[in-house]
Amino acid sequence: MKTPLLLGAIALSVLPAYAQQNSISPDSVRTIMLQEVAIKTKAHSHQKHLQEFYYANKAATTEELMSRMPEVSFIRRGSYGMEPTIRAFSAGQVSVTLDGMRIQGACTDKMDPATIYIEPLNLQSIEVHTAGGSAMQGAAIGGSLNMKLAEADLSDERRLSGSVSSGFQSAANAMLGSLRLNYATPTWGLRASGTYRKSQNYRNGNGEKVLYSQYEKANYALNGKLLLQPDLVLKADLIFDDGWNIGFPALPMDVGLAKARIGAISLVRENNKKRWRRLETRLYANQVAHYMDDSARPDLPIRMDMPGLSQTAGMFAEGTTSTRSNQQLTLRADASASYLSASMTMYQDGQSPMYMLTWPDNRQLQSGIAAQYNLQAGEKTQLQLNSRVNVSDYAVTTREGRDQLSVFGYTGTQRQFVIPSVSLQASHTVYKKLKALVSAGFNGRTPTASELYGFYLFSQFDGFDYLGNTNLKPEQSIQSEFTLSWQEPRVRVQATAYTSRVQNYIVGTFDPSLSAMTAGAHGVKVYENTPYALLAGAEASVVYNITGYTQLVSILKYNYGRNTNGEPLPMMPPLRNVTSLRKYFGDNLWVQGETEITAAQNRNSERFREQPTEGFMLWHLRAGYQQETEKKVWQLNTGIENIFDVLYREHLDWGQIARPGRNMFLQVSMGF
Amino acid sequence: MLQALVTVHLQAQKAIRMSIKSCVKSLYLIISPYFKGLKKRVPMKKNIWLTLWALSLITLFTTGCNSDDETPTPTIAYQKIAEGTADGTDIKVEVYSTEELTTGYNPIYIALFDATGKRIEQATVSFKPLMDMGTMKHASPIENPTSNQAQDGYFPGAVVFTMPSGDMGSWILDVQVQANGKTGTLTAPVTIKEPATSRLKSLVSATDGTRYYIALLQPQKPKIGINDMEVAMYKRNSMMDFPAVTNLTIALEPEMPTMGHGSPNNVNPTHSGNGHYKGKVNFTMTGLWYLNLTLNDATGEAGKLYFEVNF
Repeated sequence: MKTPLLLGAIALSVLPAYAQQNSISPDSVRTIMLQEVAIKTKAHSHQKHLQEFYYANKAATTEELMSRMPEVSFIRRGSYGMEPTIRAFSAGQVSVTLDGMRIQGACTDKMDPATIYIEPLNLQSIEVHTAGGSAMQGAAIGGSLNMKLAEADLSDERRLSGSVSSGFQSAANAMLGSLRLNYATPTWGLRASGTYRKSQNYRNGNGEKVLYSQYEKANYALNGKLLLQPDLVLKADLIFDDGWNIGFPALPMDVGLAKARIGAISLVRENNKKRWRRLETRLYANQVAHYMDDSARPDLPIRMDMPGLSQTAGMFAEGTTSTRSNQQLTLRADASASYLSASMTMYQDGQSPMYMLTWPDNRQLQSGIAAQYNLQAGEKTQLQLNSRVNVSDYAVTTREGRDQLSVFGYTGTQRQFVIPSVSLQASHTVYKKLKALVSAGFNGRTPTASELYGFYLFSQFDGFDYLGNTNLKPEQSIQSEFTLSWQEPRVRVQATAYTSRVQNYIVGTFDPSLSAMTAGAHGVKVYENTPYALLAGAEASVVYNITGYTQLVSILKYNYGRNTNGEPLPMMPPLRNVTSLRKYFGDNLWVQGETEITAAQNRNSERFREQPTEGFMLWHLRAGYQQETEKKVWQLNTGIENIFDVLYREHLDWGQIARPGRNMFLQVSMGF
Repeated sequence: MLQALVTVHLQAQKAIRMSIKSCVKSLYLIISPYFKGLKKRVPMKKNIWLTLWALSLITLFTTGCNSDDETPTPTIAYQKIAEGTADGTDIKVEVYSTEELTTGYNPIYIALFDATGKRIEQATVSFKPLMDMGTMKHASPIENPTSNQAQDGYFPGAVVFTMPSGDMGSWILDVQVQANGKTGTLTAPVTIKEPATSRLKSLVSATDGTRYYIALLQPQKPKIGINDMEVAMYKRNSMMDFPAVTNLTIALEPEMPTMGHGSPNNVNPTHSGNGHYKGKVNFTMTGLWYLNLTLNDATGEAGKLYFEVNF
């Protein structure tokens, strides 16, 4: 912490300067570093500027942070509990893991992706792999999102360190308090952290309160690290996350309680002199309980409770070896078992309760082996091969569950899927500082539990009840990506274009023969494989070091999607640009101005009753100040988001609910 | 190649579905030497390799088990509702049912014993229920035991009581027995209750004015999923004659009245003998359901009715 620059640079994108023979790393990964790392550098690298761009609001939640990455968008149903999408691929199509561990949300309405059970304080970094690079994490067609857990520090002398921070955001009267403690010795370390957030109903750009947009949560994490041998580390993680009174203004229900219990034990050996430079094995288990109800909503003829439970246990082993100095091979084997169960009970005065399983009790076993091979072929060319074979087995485990599904003639509920995936990526320095990267591959994903077994799951998005289909085929995708980047000492410009063709695209298809269960629903849709869908898009970014103390970061993204009939796909983020200009005044103070411009989205999906969305432009102003005393580091972050109090909503927001208006935030932290 | 890989995967998944507990246990066993090793400061190079191999092997194992729940086949619990000696014989007659007698279709089981107390296995048994309402009397539909051989010691039949006992009148059940060359009758007073949800309906045909009685036999224990559906149809020829009806067609439409929705893939009950019609009814959730039935005879729609099922 001696350096004023908190976020040390870890060069995960291959900058020529870092292209040493032993560190071949993939280009198709984007990382947000959240904890200071050991490398002490004052170098204003491009990577670091992006880091500061992502982490501009230190009071942000994990999902707010990720939404600043160009690849990531969020489907929003409330202020909290948003569903991450990568390049418009939805939650079921991307693999979301916590340090390689699988966590299954327990909500049938996708209101609890794994990202909500993690605080930025728990994390060391967030990695987003697009398409092909996700093979190491899981079988997915839309890429992967892996959140690396923060670890305890070790130190040569026994030492207690930590930080305390508190924050406030005005739009929602939101409070944040967090505490981190680390006890370090030469052979072991212990890290404990806690975060508490309470957010009220926020005000939108019209000054109106948005009802049911509040939330409250507490997160506790414990990490222990023990040096068994100089190069062998035993780690243990324990995370408790409780969220309650989480409102979803775009839905007819809220979440009374959402709690996750996450535990892991792992052994890591890192030794560059050994044949296997890095070996890691991990054993983990987690449980998520999620309770939805409508008790906060007024005047409903029927009251409804929807509890869900998910339990997962798994393991993985991963090893990296460099047989020669210009090659690197990483092998991974993983396996996990998940159990899901969710039910719905409706209550009406004077009637017996109406009960059903919305996720008939089911389990999914999955195992996979994956390999990543990197080759530095000459001075200018790098190759990376990613591959994976994933085998999964789904089944409904109870008679009640099978009886329920038999209503639709689904007799065989057990399914097995084999998903092979291969992708090849080549990068080549074409001309001086111009580098081209081409990647192509195919991969697939299994249907989700909702798509296989879902039982009258109401979607507020299009107003239909959704039914699973046990006969679904897996989605398969062929994809390609092309990136050009130009790297000068002071400028880095990068542009990416990508396209995916998804075969057997899974989508709910209206079945007029079925009657809707939910009062007011338009009908019933059954998940079906459609011939194909096409998703494409482009991203561009500029990082420009105008002077040593002034930097410009600008990102641009566009997504396009259409189905077999040429109709637009729903939930497509429109053209969007975020530009930020940061100026340092000395080493202690910086000020950053930011604009966010989003075009209108008129390619809306009629089939999903999706509405077009208007474009908008937002202005933000942020500033940070840091003061070091002998033993302490004080930090002050403040800013105004949406300065002009614009009334707006994003295209991926459900239910025509406006986003927060002007928001002033203030965050103070003290590190020791 | 791929097939081989898949087989390996599946074998791994299937063969070793260890519980999490045993995994943790084994992990402890593997790790514990290190703690000892730390104390002694002994390098444990070989152990590490063994450990890592063991751990990577464990990673292939998936926990989990198929908790297939097996329900035991229920045994029939006979309840004795009457007993006595058939008039003019020494045959002891015992009358059983499986549940309390209610308005609607009631299976009745008769056990017969001779003077020595030995079970009679061969007999002809018939029922004659009678409602005495003071000013008038009437019978009700019956199903006499079809065989003169006892099944597991009992002669099974059924009586469809058309109203409950009470102030309006009381029921008696005559059981006529013909066995060992003798014929006699046991007259047993029986009490008929009205069930919580009605299991018997009647309607007057819109086509020819016939009065029909429709009894719901199944589902007895409704569940979410596919349920057997069975009704029995009778008509009133006279106050003492209620024969089975075999020539109707039935359309079934379940409905949840509070929610206003139905359920898919139901099978209309069709005649399967003796006035019984069998089909399938699907429930997608618990709660109150209406089983809407539309009856048609050869000339057209005879009428509509519904049964309530609440579970």
